[in-house]
Amino acid sequence: MTPADAEQRLTGTASSEAKLVARLRAGDEQAFAELIDSYHGTMLAVARNYVNTRAVAEEVVQEAWLGVIKGLDRFQGRSSLKTWILRILVNTAMTRGGQEARSIPFSSLAREDEAEPAVEPDRFRRPDGAFPGHWAAYPANWGALPEDRVFGRETLGVMQEAIEALPTPQRVVITLRDVQGCSPEEVCDALDVSDGNQRVLLHRARSRVRAALERHFDG
Amino acid sequence: MIAYKFLNTGGRGVFTRFSWPLPDGGPGEWVDARIVPCRSGIHACRLSDLPLWVGREMYEIELDGEVLDEPTKVVASRGRLLRRVTSWDGDARDAYTRMCADRAHELAASVSPPLDEWDAVVEPSVPEGPALLGFVAARIAEELSCAGGYRTERGRQTEWLVERLGLTPA
Amino acid sequence: MAESADHVSCQEVVELVTDYLEGALPGDRTALFEQHLNFCEGCVWYVDELRTTVSRLGEIREEHVPPDTRERLLRAFRDWNRS
Repeated sequence: MTPADAEQRLTGTASSEAKLVARLRAGDEQAFAELIDSYHGTMLAVARNYVNTRAVAEEVVQEAWLGVIKGLDRFQGRSSLKTWILRILVNTAMTRGGQEARSIPFSSLAREDEAEPAVEPDRFRRPDGAFPGHWAAYPANWGALPEDRVFGRETLGVMQEAIEALPTPQRVVITLRDVQGCSPEEVCDALDVSDGNQRVLLHRARSRVRAALERHFDG
Repeated sequence: MIAYKFLNTGGRGVFTRFSWPLPDGGPGEWVDARIVPCRSGIHACRLSDLPLWVGREMYEIELDGEVLDEPTKVVASRGRLLRRVTSWDGDARDAYTRMCADRAHELAASVSPPLDEWDAVVEPSVPEGPALLGFVAARIAEELSCAGGYRTERGRQTEWLVERLGLTPA
Repeated sequence: MAESADHVSCQEVVELVTDYLEGALPGDRTALFEQHLNFCEGCVWYVDELRTTVSRLGEIREEHVPPDTRERLLRAFRDWNRS
C-alpha cells in the first residue's frame, strides 16, 4: 500500500478519524501500522529539513513516533491527527536540530517586504522604457523540449538538489505541500504559521525550483 | 441574459479546458456551475468586455440562474451556447489585429517626440494575434493619457468588434 | 513594476502565480491575471512550467517504510499498550 492509499483510508472523514483514534487507544496494532505507512515518509522528509543527515532524521522520526504513542491518550482532536503528529515531529526535530544548528526559527519567516523576485528583474523590459515589466525575451517553452527531458527521472534529481539549496523555511513548506501533498491548513497548523506566510514561502520555493529546472534544461 | 464567450479551438474553455457542449442545429446543453466569485461559475463577456478576452472561437451564450456583474466579465450559475458567431473568423481576426496595430502606430506617433520605442514593439507582435495587439494599442493609449486612455481605447475596440461582427448592443 | 487597475505586467504575473494557482488571488486581480494570460504566450508557458514543477515534485515522495523500522515502532506500540 502506498502512503497515498493508506492516507486515503485514514483521513476520509472526521468520524473515521475518531474511530481510528479509538482503535489506537484500544491498542489495535493494525491501526498503528496504517498510521506508520501513511505518515512516516512525510515525517522523514520534514525531519530531513532540520537535521544534517538522514540517519539523524530517522532517529528524530522514531523519537517523534514514541512521542505520538505516549501522547495518544492526550490527543483531543482539536486538530487533525496528521497535524498533531506533524507538530510533535517538528518539535522533536527542532530540539534535535538546535543541537546541530541547522534550524531557523519559524518566527523569522518570510516577510512580504523582503524582495526576492521569482525571476531576475533583467529578464523584463526596463521600468523607464516601453512596456515596462513585460518579458524582454520569453522564457523557454518547455512544451517544445523532448518529453523525456522534462518528464524523465533526471529531472527529479535536479529538483531534489534545488530543494536542498533552499533556506530552511522554504524547504520545509515546499516539502510538505508539493512533495508530501499536505494541505495549506496542515502546513499552517504543523508549523504554526499564517496561511499568507506559508504561501509566500511556497511561492519563493516553487519559483526557485522552477528556475533550477530552467537552468538545467538550458544547459 | 445573452452574452458572449470565447473558447479555444474545438470549444475548449481557455482557462478551465472544459469541453463545452457545442450548439448543433439548436443550442448546446445547459451547463451548471456553482458560483464562487472568480473561482468558478460560467464566465462570459458583455459587449464592453469583448476586447479583453478575444480568442479563437466566439459563441453567443445564454446565461441563466444567478448572474453576477463583475467589472470585466459576468459570471453565472448556468449557461448554454446558443450559436457560434461565425463572423469572428480568420479574416475578422486578422482585420482586428491590423486595426489595433495601425491604431497603436497612430497613437505612438501622435505626440512629440513620438514614442518610437513603443512603436517598435507593434509589428513584431502582429503574428501573436488580436488579444496581444488590442493590449498593445490600449497600453500605448494609457501611456499617453494615463488610466483613462486604456479604457477609452478598449471602448474603441469594442465599437469596431460590434460593427464588424454585426452584434446587437444590449 | 507599474501598478495599474487595468492590467498586470509579466513581472507581476510571475509573482502572482502561486496565489492564482492556490485560489488566493482576489477577484479583480484574478481577472487581470487571466486577461494577461489571454494575450501573453510567455506567461502561459511560465504558468505551465510552474504547474509542471509542482506535479513533478509530487513524484519525489518516498514510498516505503523500511521493514525493520516498521517492526521496531510496532513493538514500541505493543510495549506501551501492555504497560
